[in-house]
Formats: sequence, C-alpha cells, structure tokens
Amino acid sequence: MDRMKVKEVLHNVVLLDRNGRKILATKSRYAPHYGEKKYGEFREWMASRSKLAALILKEYVPEIKEDWKILYLGAASGTTVSHFADIVEKGVIFAVEYSAKPFSKFLELAMERKNIIPILANALQPWKYSGIVDKVDMIYQDVAHPEQVEIFERNADFFLKKRGEGLIMVKARSIDSTAEPKEVFTRVKQRLQSKFRVLAVIDLEPYHKDHVAIHIQR
Amino acid sequence: MWFSKLSQGTGGPTLSEYRLWFGIVKNGKITPSDDFKKSFQNCENAEPLPFSPSEVGIKHFGSLDAYFSALRKVAIDVVKKIIEHELKREDRYAVLLLKSLDELNETINLLEEKLRDLEEVKVSEVTESFRDRIAELKRLRRDVEKEIEAIVSKIAPNLTEIVGAVIAARLLEKAGSLKRLAEMPASAIQLLGAEKSLYKALNRMKKGKPARFPKHGVIFQHPFVRTLPKAKRGKMARFMAAKLAIAARLDYFSGELNEELAEAVRKRYEQLRR
Repeated sequence: MDRMKVKEVLHNVVLLDRNGRKILATKSRYAPHYGEKKYGEFREWMASRSKLAALILKEYVPEIKEDWKILYLGAASGTTVSHFADIVEKGVIFAVEYSAKPFSKFLELAMERKNIIPILANALQPWKYSGIVDKVDMIYQDVAHPEQVEIFERNADFFLKKRGEGLIMVKARSIDSTAEPKEVFTRVKQRLQSKFRVLAVIDLEPYHKDHVAIHIQR
Repeated sequence: MWFSKLSQGTGGPTLSEYRLWFGIVKNGKITPSDDFKKSFQNCENAEPLPFSPSEVGIKHFGSLDAYFSALRKVAIDVVKKIIEHELKREDRYAVLLLKSLDELNETINLLEEKLRDLEEVKVSEVTESFRDRIAELKRLRRDVEKEIEAIVSKIAPNLTEIVGAVIAARLLEKAGSLKRLAEMPASAIQLLGAEKSLYKALNRMKKGKPARFPKHGVIFQHPFVRTLPKAKRGKMARFMAAKLAIAARLDYFSGELNEELAEAVRKRYEQLRR
C-alpha cells in the first residue's frame, strides 16, 4: 500500500499527498459522477474540469459552510456541483441550467443526492424561479455568457442574503473576444464594485487560461 | 416576523400576493396548489420576495426536511418532463445524419470507381493507401447507419416498427421533422419523395394531357410495396401510408409503441400477396 497524507482545507475538502503527488479531493460516499478517480472515500477533484477546484488549488479557499444554501448558476452536467454537494452536505444547492442536453446527465446527480434542487431555466430571468429559490448564503456563477455580470446582479437582487457572498467565474473570451483579457477583468471588477464589496480577484492560470474568479460580498 | 408584516399589507395590494411553487400566499395565507408540477413552472414574481419560500413551506409541509424533499421530488419530475420533450428534437440529429450518410454513399461510390480505374493501370503504394482510406470510409458509414438506427428507433418506435429505421429516417428527412410528419395527412406521406413525378403529372393534367399519378414515394423501398405486382402496389402503399400517419402521431405525442399498427400492415400484405 502506498502512503497517503490527508490535509483538510475546507469541510470535506482535502489535499491528498500520494507519494509526493498532490491531489485535491472531496470526501464523498457516492460513486464517481464524471469519470473521476476515487481514493478510498475521496473523489478526486480535477482543477482542469472545475474552476472552483482551480481556485482552491491556487490557495484561495472561500469559507463555505456545510449548512449553507447555494444558488448555482450554470450547473451544466454537474461536475462542480457534485463536489459542491459534498461540501454543503447539510445545506441545499439550487442548481440552475438553461440547456436541456447537459442537464440529462445532471439529472442523474440530482436523483442521487438529497441536497440538490435542479431548475431548468434561463438565469437571465430570476423572477421565473423566484417562488422556488430561498435566500441564499452564496451565489456561484459559471455561465460563460457575455451578459454574465448582469445575470449575477439580477440573481443577487432576488436571492442573495445581506452579507451573502458570490463567486463569479469570469471567462474573458466569452465576454469580449476582441479586448485584452486584463481589460475585460478590470471592467467586470469595476462594475461589481459599484454594488458589492470585492473581496478578491484570482487568476486561474495555469488551470484555466484567461479566467479569473471574483469573490464578492453583499 | 415576515408574517405579521405581510398581514399589515405594507407593500400595497399587488405586493402582498406571492406565487410559490406549492401555492399562492396572500396576506399571509397559503392556498396550496392542486398540481405542484404546474405551479412549479408558474411561480413568477415580478419583485424579489421579502422572505424565503421555505419559511412559508415549513408551515405547510410540517418540517424543513419534508419541505425540501417534496420540492426536490417536484423539481426532478419537472426537469425529467422537459428533457424528454427536448429529446424529441433528436429528429434533427437523425435527419442530419441521414444526409451525411447520403453524401458518404456518393463519395464511396465515386472513389471506388476511381480506385478500380487506378488498379487496372498500376498497383502502387498510393493505390494501396487509397484502398485503405475507402475501407475506413466504409467503417464510418456503418457507424453512421448504426447511430441512425439507434436514434430513430428511440424517437419514432412506431414508424420504425412498420417500415424499419432507414425508411423511417428517410420519411423524417423528406418531411423535415417528426412534428411535420405527424401533421401530414396519409396521402402526403404516401407520396413523400415522389414530388417530382407528382408535379409532372399535375402539370400534364392542367394542360389537359393524359397523366399518370405516382402511387408511392419513399415507401416504395419497403419490400411490402416493392415485391407486390404492379397493380397491387398502390393499394399497399395507400394502406401503409395510412398506418404511418397514425404511427407518426403516436411517436410525436405519446412515444409509446403500439404493435397493432405493424401487425395490420403485415396482414394487409399477406392479403394482397395472394
């Protein structure tokens, strides 16, 4: 047997040291969802597949509590959500996705986990699901949409608690493919600053090119 | 508490009524909906709610656990329904695949012809690799055929049962989509793919010349039509088209297989063969 050192960085999130190789993983009693490896009770969390994993590997660890309510915009097929669900095991994730195709894969996850509420809707129209989603502790957004800041603000207006937090994954190329990424990030940050407190802006290189994570608080 | 605030009606008349996924809250009173799936998809509120739906829900469902497990169940049911509906659009995929298959067939035939010419003149390394590439294309063609069969038998089980996946896919292609095929009368389905000869006949008729109308289009490819004597093909085509029209509607609206249709077509064929 090889030896494995385990270091907890967040509730149910660990850094495994397997013979010198560092692996991010979440503690989970569930089977793999998207072909990730399992090391005992841990599911590997690949930074190349998930921007939240990349953020944690960049040593920025947002303090997500195990009983938080999360509004997740852009759930897609559920790669990141599956790990999120491990973290907030006593909370609830309202997962919004617009396109039906990846959501059929997501549905498998939603049926397995008790703490995920799947919602197939356009995140640009939060009023459409306003009678479903609670006030949440965090809005996590990964939508790759030119209007993504607008989307975030609208959803924050509807659902984000006072002092609630937001994690916004910004892809420069999908907001403005002609401008310099740095310029795009500055613009996004300035716009967010007019409404929220920007806690940090973290570049996700080398895991995701031209992406930053912006952590805000209301 | 939000409850007392609501009953004071601070927000004006429109603001004190809220649509939640499990019912309507008016002046602090819950009127539960009789169909959660319906109300789940119809819980629009123009303004942010001054409370969380779960705070009200806990009163109706007894506990927070009961509330969320009910919500989760409804949410999953609704998503399932929507996704199934979306899957009907797979007919587009099948049609596009069929078009690519036609191109592939044409390409393979053309290339094979050229290969034969080449081989007669000289067999070289290039000729060899030519042949390998064509074999590769043929493998691709098999894969495409398999995929078409898989998709079509899933989205149109009744059509497939009657005429097989290939002709079913061809009908979809000519009609444009499963929806349009479902909206077609049987007489149009009978002549799908015979448009050219139909309009030729119509034109001749307009000019007062003798005209012969086509009896079958794509469905002629089916052995039940093709193998009958000429005089009986029209009868068979007409009957088959009638059943196909029903099948297309079943496939589009319910998606469940009705074996009686294919059975009826087979019986009619036995009858006509005698």
